Amino acid sequence: MLNAEDLIAFEREIAAEFEAGRIKAPVHFAGGNEQQLIDVFRTISPRDWVLCSWRSHYHCLLKGVPREQVKTAILKGRSIALCFPQYRILSSAIVGGICPIATGLAWAIKERGGPERVHVFLGDMSANTGISHECVKYCAGHDLPVRWIIEDNKKSVCTDTRATWGELTPAISLTCYDYKLTWPHVGTGQWVRF
Amino acid sequence: MPSQPSYFDELCTAMALLGREPNTIFMGQAVAVPGTTMADTFRKVPNEKRLEMPVAEDMQMGMAIGMALSGYLPVCVFPRWNFLLLAANQLVNHLDRLPLYSDGGYRPKVIIRTAVPSAHPFNPGPQHDDDFTGAFRRMLRTVKVETLSHASSIVPAYAAAMRADHSTLLVEYTEQYKKERGNVRFA
Repeated sequence: MLNAEDLIAFEREIAAEFEAGRIKAPVHFAGGNEQQLIDVFRTISPRDWVLCSWRSHYHCLLKGVPREQVKTAILKGRSIALCFPQYRILSSAIVGGICPIATGLAWAIKERGGPERVHVFLGDMSANTGISHECVKYCAGHDLPVRWIIEDNKKSVCTDTRATWGELTPAISLTCYDYKLTWPHVGTGQWVRF
Repeated sequence: MPSQPSYFDELCTAMALLGREPNTIFMGQAVAVPGTTMADTFRKVPNEKRLEMPVAEDMQMGMAIGMALSGYLPVCVFPRWNFLLLAANQLVNHLDRLPLYSDGGYRPKVIIRTAVPSAHPFNPGPQHDDDFTGAFRRMLRTVKVETLSHASSIVPAYAAAMRADHSTLLVEYTEQYKKERGNVRFA
């Protein structure tokens, strides 16, 4: 497996290409999370799916995509949504966009009784979106083989995640009452002729 | 002279046709239980192929993408355009764009079913009565949009969607149900 120095060297190489004007598309560089990711990837099998976001160079390398293949894709302008089907890597540059796709993959794995798992990498702001909450809830409720990994740098672009949301895990008090509806969802349940 | 199959009958036939495909899975609200105008059209689809979904439209559409990448052919059902609008992120940014941004590496194929409701004389109101077909045709690059204007167009359109190498969004018109039934039922 690659070590932290390998990852940092790759990102510096891409940065040089970027600064030389040879990448005509956005690039989100990774840094500071090398050892954390190396540790996470120790438990990811080649047959597993990895779904990630716009900052995924390290993830692709650690999943086993050859560095030259990753570099070629980046030079083609695909850095923010890298996809390598043969390595079961799928990314999206839309916040939370991978969550339901991961959920569908996991549903299919469970339905077929497969041994593989789905690993979803989310930033701290992405992890607080409605779509991620829905998907985490669905996967937990149906016991789907998904691991959610939150990469918490405390911010989204320059926005402080905690400052905008307030307390991230507050004790919430809801008012709830039970009842049984005495009518159908809409109308009376009878055919009506106009 | 035998009567022509009705719009509703043709929808049932199309769903039965899809239901015979080994890899199809029908997903949405009121696909496994009653509750919408469309619900009865699934009566010939085996129960084990119907996945009742929570109300989470964008999640539903995204899940369909994941299932499609795993070899399933999801038939993703949204009873109205106004509800499908809530799945626009997964429909446009992912189902439609994934084949483009993955350079053809991922080509999930999903069949999407939605409807434009009848608006006269019974009007469901401005949050329920829209037809966004034209707007979505302009937004989508790889997903084909088909309108089912006549009963005779339904089965060929679904058969083509089944054979296609791309996703298809099929739009039906519940006005056609009304013409045939001459009434409206909300169960």
